Amino acid sequence: MKHNRYKVLLIEDESNIRSMVKAILYANGYQVILADSCQSGMMLFSSHLPDLVILDLGLPDRDGLEFIRHIRKTDVTPVLVLSARTTEEDKIQALDLGANDYVTKPFGTGELLARVRAALRSCRISRDAALPAGKFQLLDLTIDYNRRLVTVGGGEVSLTQTEYNILDFLSQNSGKVLTYSAIIRQVWGYDDPGSVKKLQVNMANLRKKLGAKPGAENYIVNELGVGYRMNDT
Amino acid sequence: MRMTKKTASDGGFTVVVLAAAFFLNLLLDRWFETIALVPMIFVLGVFLISLKTQHLFWGIFGSFVSVLLVNYAFTYPYFGIDLVSPECIVSALVMLVVAVMTGTLTMQIRKTLQMKAEIEKESMRANLLRAVSHDLRTPLTTVYGSCSAIIDNFDSLDKAEQIKLLRGIQQDAQWLIRMVENLLSVTRIDAEGVQLKKTPTVLEEFIDTVLLKFKKRCPGTAVIADIPDTFVSIPMDAVLMEQVLMNLLENAVYHARGMTELRLCVTLKGSRAWFSVSDNGCGIEESILPHLFTGCLDRHTETSDSCRSNMGIGLSVCAAIVRAHGSTITAANQKTGGAVFRFSLETEAEDEA
Repeated sequence: MKHNRYKVLLIEDESNIRSMVKAILYANGYQVILADSCQSGMMLFSSHLPDLVILDLGLPDRDGLEFIRHIRKTDVTPVLVLSARTTEEDKIQALDLGANDYVTKPFGTGELLARVRAALRSCRISRDAALPAGKFQLLDLTIDYNRRLVTVGGGEVSLTQTEYNILDFLSQNSGKVLTYSAIIRQVWGYDDPGSVKKLQVNMANLRKKLGAKPGAENYIVNELGVGYRMNDT
Repeated sequence: MRMTKKTASDGGFTVVVLAAAFFLNLLLDRWFETIALVPMIFVLGVFLISLKTQHLFWGIFGSFVSVLLVNYAFTYPYFGIDLVSPECIVSALVMLVVAVMTGTLTMQIRKTLQMKAEIEKESMRANLLRAVSHDLRTPLTTVYGSCSAIIDNFDSLDKAEQIKLLRGIQQDAQWLIRMVENLLSVTRIDAEGVQLKKTPTVLEEFIDTVLLKFKKRCPGTAVIADIPDTFVSIPMDAVLMEQVLMNLLENAVYHARGMTELRLCVTLKGSRAWFSVSDNGCGIEESILPHLFTGCLDRHTETSDSCRSNMGIGLSVCAAIVRAHGSTITAANQKTGGAVFRFSLETEAEDEA
């Protein structure tokens, strides 16, 4: 049994899924705390202070969104949302409320563990370095935040201000899904009906400049209808 | 709100028809000496109104106005109203009867058509259900049976055998996931009043997502993607359209025997984007081509080892989704060998971007 220091709070009302996710996490060395309702989840959260929360949105007593709203008042603990395909609106809402990522049911072991690792990592980065000092490195993409310089495989990529700002924001939240409106608010400061299109056009140019090909492993993952995610190292 | 819009357009139609009948009569009145044509033309007008409008009211309204107009302009005293003559009352009654009868008849015809469509939909659903329940039973048997076998004989089965059983369960569960996704899509389209959630989707992002998902499911098969280099935005329900392309690509993997090349192409023609998924495998038997999208593929035509088809349902789901997007999907065999599936979607108008 591998051990790591992470404590995961799992809030899920379906007992079979609960024991399955627990088994997966436990086998990979995580400590697991179980809750079967929003209420008990909130209580366990404040008494155990977990490193990560895995949250099912459809809970019997209260909406899972309520939980995110509650803990985001005081905590930055990463939240990974489990959602069914039928609750897409909730998914976007959860992300906008501050959830880090989502996994759609049914999911595989590998997928879940990868998302858990990414969420834990992204939170560590943002805790260690609150300021965007230094550099970002992913495969052969490098971003030098001080000089606002982007290189791919050593060659400089010339970006417009907007493109750089988007890339900056995505990279500082790598591993986290950022919704269209979150990016728009960050980059333009306002959100009007044409903004998503504007963002998409900028993203298309950015992808082209970074040399991304459809279907190949890229730096930035499209979350259709939701937003974008910078792959994390 | 839609109600009032409909009412307004019906009212407009009524006014236009009546005005047309009136002026036509004024014209004819100059050319011919007789006024025998006048009532005929108004009856025709009332008939048209009853036929085209949604509510009986407009037909009756039209007939009253017609009687008044005839009385006003075409009978003695010209350009004056005379409502007491029995002639006028009888003609009003005849018009009224025409309007009511046409209206009732049209309603009935409309109802019959609606019922026919409903029956058609119902039979498609029944076909689908039958095919599905048949297809679900096999993997469920494996899952249930294998699990029981492992639990009951946990100590006597050796590790390799257990893994083999578990792998079977895993595969069948994956297949069930795909099946359920398809079923969910169908119920979403069929559910009354549920509209497609069309959002402008960037073609490149869409294709990228499909290819990555496909790579995860069928890591052994490479797809050659060929899409336009320009920024194209297509209003679509991305979740459902993703399913269409996934089904087509996976079908090729499972059914196109001897395939070495799988292509996903998008080309722009005018305001439409044409999608095609083509392979160079064994092609599709000409005899089943016409029934490909109906969801009731005759199982006898399949060879016995490919019983895990999913093809019938997958393709009928594709057809339903594409139809809901206002297009049709077609299948054909290429001259060079292999099958090709095509459909097109309306792209978003180029604006300032």
